[in-house]
Amino acid sequence: MAVGIISVVLLTLVGGTLLTFAAGRWARYVALGTSLVFLFEAAYMLSAFVWPLPNGAGVPLYAFSETAPWVHLSWLTINYSVGVDGISLPFVLLTAILQIVTVVYTFEEDRHPAAWFGLVLLTCLGSFGVFVSLDILQFFLFWEAVLIPMFFIIGYWGGVRRRYAALKFLLYTHVASVVMLVSLFAVAFYSHAASFDFSDLYGPAQGLATTTQVVLFLGLFFGFGVKFPVVPFHTWLPDAHVEAPTGGSVLLAGLLLKLGGYGLIRWGLELLPSGLEHAAPLLYAVAFASILWGAFMSLAQRDLKKLVAYSSINHMGIVLLAIAVYSSLGVMAAVLLMFAHGIVSALLFMVSGSVHDSFGSRDIVSVNGITARTPVLATMIMIGALASLGLPALVSFPAEFSAFLATWDRLGYFVLLPLLGLVITAAFYLWMMQRLLFGPARNLPERAHDLPAHEAIAMGLLVALIVLYGILPSLLTNIIVASPIHLLP
Amino acid sequence: MVGWSVLFPYAYLVPLLMVGSFVVVGLGGTRLRRFAGGGWIAVAAAGASMVLGVLLGVAEMLDPTYTDTHVVWLSLPATGTGTFPNGFELVMGTLVDPLSGLMLLVVTIVGFLVLVYSLGYMAHEKGLPRYFAELSLFLAAMNGLVLADNLFEFFVFWELVGVCSYFLIGFFYEKPSAASAAKEAFLVTRVGDVMFLLGVFLYFYVYATSGPAGGWAAHGFLFVQGSSPFLAGVMGGSTPLLTVAGLMILGGAAGKSAQFPLHVWLPDAMEGPTTVSALIHAATMVAAGVYLLAVTSLFLGFTATDDLAIVAIGGFTTFFAATMALVQPDIKRVIAYSTISQLGYMVLAVGAGFAMVGMYHLFTHAFFKALLFLAAGAVIHAVGTQDLFKMGGLRRTMRITSGVFLVGALSLSGIFPFAGFWSKDDVLSSLFGELGSHPLYWPFYLLALATVFLTGYYIFRVWFLTFSGENPRDRSLPAAHEAPGVMLVPMIVLAIFATVGGLFPFVPAFAHLLPGAGIPPSYTATDLALSALSVGLAAGGILTAWAFWGNGRVFELPAGSAAQPVRRLLLKRYYFKAGYDALGLTGVYTFARLCDFVDRYIIDGVVHGLERSFGGLSERGRRIQSGVVLDYASYVVAGVVVLLLFLLVVGPYLVATWGS
Repeated sequence: MAVGIISVVLLTLVGGTLLTFAAGRWARYVALGTSLVFLFEAAYMLSAFVWPLPNGAGVPLYAFSETAPWVHLSWLTINYSVGVDGISLPFVLLTAILQIVTVVYTFEEDRHPAAWFGLVLLTCLGSFGVFVSLDILQFFLFWEAVLIPMFFIIGYWGGVRRRYAALKFLLYTHVASVVMLVSLFAVAFYSHAASFDFSDLYGPAQGLATTTQVVLFLGLFFGFGVKFPVVPFHTWLPDAHVEAPTGGSVLLAGLLLKLGGYGLIRWGLELLPSGLEHAAPLLYAVAFASILWGAFMSLAQRDLKKLVAYSSINHMGIVLLAIAVYSSLGVMAAVLLMFAHGIVSALLFMVSGSVHDSFGSRDIVSVNGITARTPVLATMIMIGALASLGLPALVSFPAEFSAFLATWDRLGYFVLLPLLGLVITAAFYLWMMQRLLFGPARNLPERAHDLPAHEAIAMGLLVALIVLYGILPSLLTNIIVASPIHLLP
Repeated sequence: MVGWSVLFPYAYLVPLLMVGSFVVVGLGGTRLRRFAGGGWIAVAAAGASMVLGVLLGVAEMLDPTYTDTHVVWLSLPATGTGTFPNGFELVMGTLVDPLSGLMLLVVTIVGFLVLVYSLGYMAHEKGLPRYFAELSLFLAAMNGLVLADNLFEFFVFWELVGVCSYFLIGFFYEKPSAASAAKEAFLVTRVGDVMFLLGVFLYFYVYATSGPAGGWAAHGFLFVQGSSPFLAGVMGGSTPLLTVAGLMILGGAAGKSAQFPLHVWLPDAMEGPTTVSALIHAATMVAAGVYLLAVTSLFLGFTATDDLAIVAIGGFTTFFAATMALVQPDIKRVIAYSTISQLGYMVLAVGAGFAMVGMYHLFTHAFFKALLFLAAGAVIHAVGTQDLFKMGGLRRTMRITSGVFLVGALSLSGIFPFAGFWSKDDVLSSLFGELGSHPLYWPFYLLALATVFLTGYYIFRVWFLTFSGENPRDRSLPAAHEAPGVMLVPMIVLAIFATVGGLFPFVPAFAHLLPGAGIPPSYTATDLALSALSVGLAAGGILTAWAFWGNGRVFELPAGSAAQPVRRLLLKRYYFKAGYDALGLTGVYTFARLCDFVDRYIIDGVVHGLERSFGGLSERGRRIQSGVVLDYASYVVAGVVVLLLFLLVVGPYLVATWGS
């Protein structure tokens, strides 16, 4: 069997990661080179993507798919099975984008640079693996492979309370992973599938009795929900973000949260549709709670980074809502919104880090009026905030609009609850800008510097993408809708 | 005939030119010092866009057709059930029709004039590239809004003009009051925007479920000529939905056009440069709410309940805002309240079913109100204060400015034959005609009529305080000087429009831009009597102002006067601002802090409780985190072993137990 593009990417990333770990002081150049190759490969996958039509049995097929038996047990076959569809491809692109911007943003990292860049690449390798894996065990291995580098990133490069935060992150998400794994195994066992391969599970799992589906789905929802994170399993997130180094936060918000949303669509919605449909009221409740709770919590924060962290809970709540309404429109909105949130929150965490670097604090109550001192940084903060609050022409708008439309379509006037969240979101970003950016300068050190070139380049790249996909979202949505969501109602 | 209509598909260039200016000036930044901080680039782009805009307007006069050009922006997949069983398309395009032709004239002409004026007015400010870039983006978004051919696209540009307004109100960002006013404007209009968004969904729903065979959804929900009566027809059975949809649109319009109860932001928006007040917060953006109502009324339709709500909001706001204008000491704030009041007249007209009469008043108001702001700007530029009680006698040193301000004031008051007379009179007489069939309109008609008196009073109070008398009351003011030519020329052009603009609809070609009942007004005997009444009221207002403030007089309300509490109430803006601050800021923020407490100590408290019951997470954590890589490796190995055990032992057992 010929080696496909996905294996090539995996080999690139594995090789690049190993080389980076070994490269000593040249690590950043190796990491940058690897990221460029990865970005190029992701762009190739995007341009060459053709989604094969489903076969007669209604089982979806995948582009660039490769399957090879990996482990033969007497009772089960575990495959090396990879492939992408319109749902996973945007995440592949997101991974490539975030890898390169993280490497560029942290280009001057001088504490154990080889380990730093190696772990960054490892995180992205794991995420890429999650997004392309079509076998339960393989999926899980990659899933766990993401946690370990992130644990070290927070635990070593983090802030004062890094050990507490790293451990909380690891234990919290690990408990969730165990529940998720058990649920996935149970799906496989109950459906008597011949293998752990998605295509073998697809039909039998969908045929399971409704009660079974609901129970299994709830297990999966817990596993993925902690990763989102949804209220009330969210308290690891602010701690992890506050302590994580900037690069770690970018990957955490940009990629790791998306693993939960992606997993819920791929393994929850697609395998257990009746489970989702019957658990939907619970999902709505959790989603509304996350949207509003995240928004109000952000309003109460005075640490810029914590404010951004809680806004993630708000946005991922909208993602959950869009998934829960169970329609093609909803899934499209959810995927687009996760992509949007990936690049927008990356920008916002970068500016938080740069504010701290320039002014020694991220406290928006005491640090005021930075615009005159650091105009480029201030502009980036404004663009990030406006993108996050859903301004048209920036990438979140088409995603949120579709998500609200999908919600309106299924739930009618309940859409007012997330719309209320929209007002609160505007409020906390505007208030943040009023205090941090505007007004007379206060508590600014004399030698505050504006963005260094490498940070400005990383943010500039994100801004360009935010505008590009904001003006032409169909570049992505045309890919998203070409996928199994056509099989949905 | 091969003619004007060939221009219509190129309408998108009007906003696109300004996008170009935004990009060039925005990226050029301080390198553009030689071009007045990018000012000349913005003026050139606005000039080109004005030429095209005026050509399009003239084309619509000569060939009043509806020409739509669009592309699909986003294809949305099907949802199976509900509103959009078959999926639909969000489109972006341009609709050149009489209404957008009229608005193009207003926006591009006033936009160009204000940019020219800015070259002089802003010359000494820092941050000019930012100013001209933001103003360019505003004009791009505003022209996009004007040309929008569907409700979704309208919403997109609506949000974009809002954010430009936010940045321009906060232009002097180091002033805390400016930063605060910018935030307030964005937030209050955001409340309206959310209603607007829901209104979009509702109209989508109405379209998708009640359209003819094939569905209007197939058209991308485009505005189609003559669709309003059709929609009203098909909606006969489900009026409540259409009513709610209309009310939501009204909510959005009230936010943007600063109508009661979302009016509070506009007076505070005067923190922005006066040019911004003239262009955005008087002539164009705030009128977008009225434009939205007019477009909705023509293409989508309101129910009778909606109409009454619109009349009520407009009529009440007209009077309510005018009362606050009576006592303000700040020259710009008086004009700001006046704007709210005049927007009320337009809303009133649209609600009474005379969308085009509302647009007529929008047209004349844009010119005389921009003129008033620019003239006020020239005064502020000269004396460095906005406090009316420090000014006085400026007529001697600023002859032209005082003259054009007088033209603006007469036009605003509705004195024959200035522009404001014709359109305001048309609003009142149109409404009067409806009183027979809609007796509930009576109170709002009377409020609107009483406002004519107040209008004449408050604007001439400003004129007398500023220009009459011998000398400025505050002797420390710098010696005033007439504005430079680059500021005077735009004012004079606007003064011409403010004088004769009301007569334009009497030119048959121009009347094509305002197709509809009552334009140009027909002037029956009743109409003439009503006109005489309203001119009389306005003249009465002016005379009252003269009695109190003429010839440099300053009227002091006696300390013990029974009118003092009223005056305080008006100065305190009926406590709306204080109330909103208490509710919206203090209340919501306190609630957020409460959430924060719950999050920290209750939700996370439970997590920590669990942790302790598991034997102390942090204690074990310290031991796990030994820092020895081998230890970590052994955890990984242990994990793999557990997994393998599961696969090789537990799995087969489970299969054996539960299997087939």
